[in-house]
Amino acid sequence: MDSIYSGYEKKLYDIAIRVTERIRNYGDAYSDKTGKKLFEHLSWRIKSEESMRSKCLEDGLPLNAHSALKEVHDAIGIRIVCLFLNDIHANIEELHRLPGCSVVEEKDYISAAKPNGYRSYHLILSVADDEPDIDGNYPGTYFAEIQLRTIAMDTWAALEHEMKYKKDIRHPELISAELKRCADELAACDVSMQTIRDLIRS
Amino acid sequence: MKILLAEDEIDLADVVSAMLAHSGYTVDTVTNGLEAVEKTRTDAYDAILLDVMMPVMDGLTAVAEIRKTGNTTPVLFLTAKTEVNDRIAGLDAGADDYLTKPFAMGELLARVRAMTRRHGQYSPSIVTLQDLTLDTSKSELTCRNSISLAVRESRLMEQFMNHPGIAFSTEDLLEKFWKNEDGADAEAVWMYISFLRNKLRAVGSTLVISGESGGAYVLTQGITS
Repeated sequence: MDSIYSGYEKKLYDIAIRVTERIRNYGDAYSDKTGKKLFEHLSWRIKSEESMRSKCLEDGLPLNAHSALKEVHDAIGIRIVCLFLNDIHANIEELHRLPGCSVVEEKDYISAAKPNGYRSYHLILSVADDEPDIDGNYPGTYFAEIQLRTIAMDTWAALEHEMKYKKDIRHPELISAELKRCADELAACDVSMQTIRDLIRS
Repeated sequence: MKILLAEDEIDLADVVSAMLAHSGYTVDTVTNGLEAVEKTRTDAYDAILLDVMMPVMDGLTAVAEIRKTGNTTPVLFLTAKTEVNDRIAGLDAGADDYLTKPFAMGELLARVRAMTRRHGQYSPSIVTLQDLTLDTSKSELTCRNSISLAVRESRLMEQFMNHPGIAFSTEDLLEKFWKNEDGADAEAVWMYISFLRNKLRAVGSTLVISGESGGAYVLTQGITS
């Protein structure tokens, strides 16, 4: 089977590395200035063939490179994991100023968590490239989804992911209810720790 | 402390009222259930003593009416010894305790003391105010989001939500929620106010706790954007 990315895999890797470098750059600049880190972990991935195909089917899109590169916006996924809630907002400000990129969509699942308790800030970047893209546009345009969260939110999401893909879980309703409770408790800790940090620094 | 007494036997009402007054309580006396219900709508009491058999409206109906309005004031039933079903029905209707006639005045006073001491356990576990819901049994605060509260945060929040617009001084809060425990000071109160402020923001509520460190705090509607 041909790749759904139809020869654009290399380009996606290049773009992901480029955007990640720019994020690392503002992070380094912040560290040099303040001696503190703006994020703890920075990672990226290209959406697997299989996931991209099922995402297209889910959204009723034809299985082709145009869908994968232009209609679906998370072929490139970048995750920024922070220590504190306010660091997330500092990163969002930096992302709005990121060279060669513009923010085209923002979803704040921290202010309004998903019903299962999922919390993260999602932001779609449009990234300009100096070669024509699949639609023949010049400069080319690619999309990357940035997920920002605290370490607590990241741990929670990892556990929820594990549960979602595990079959034959016993007492799924109980597990879901307890996961939701954990999410609210972790959110409480994030807010309390931010508050204490503010009190210490004031 | 203020007590409402509803008793249609005038002699008994006089004796009970005099005893309570002698023990330092302020007493309002009425002679039927309907008057009792009406009094609870205009006055706040620390305890309510209700006779079961009364003209116009009996004590059972009265307690049900009082509870319907969300009033959680402790209610003590005064009932004749044989009326077992009344005692069961009364407790089920929302009374907290009962005393069978004839009773010793010492026991009546002891039960009133016990009831007023325990007040709070009878409060409903769900408190709502505008966009905000507090579930005290789960220590959970909900608006657009839900978030867990520490036990002390939950008690403080309950106090603010039950008295919106009322200012509580740092000293009031220290006495009520820290019981003047060692090491508790204005800074501790300020920290908990800060926790609650940020948690109100985290759940997306339009309500805010205003006030400066060491001063008085009040739960009010914030400026909406």
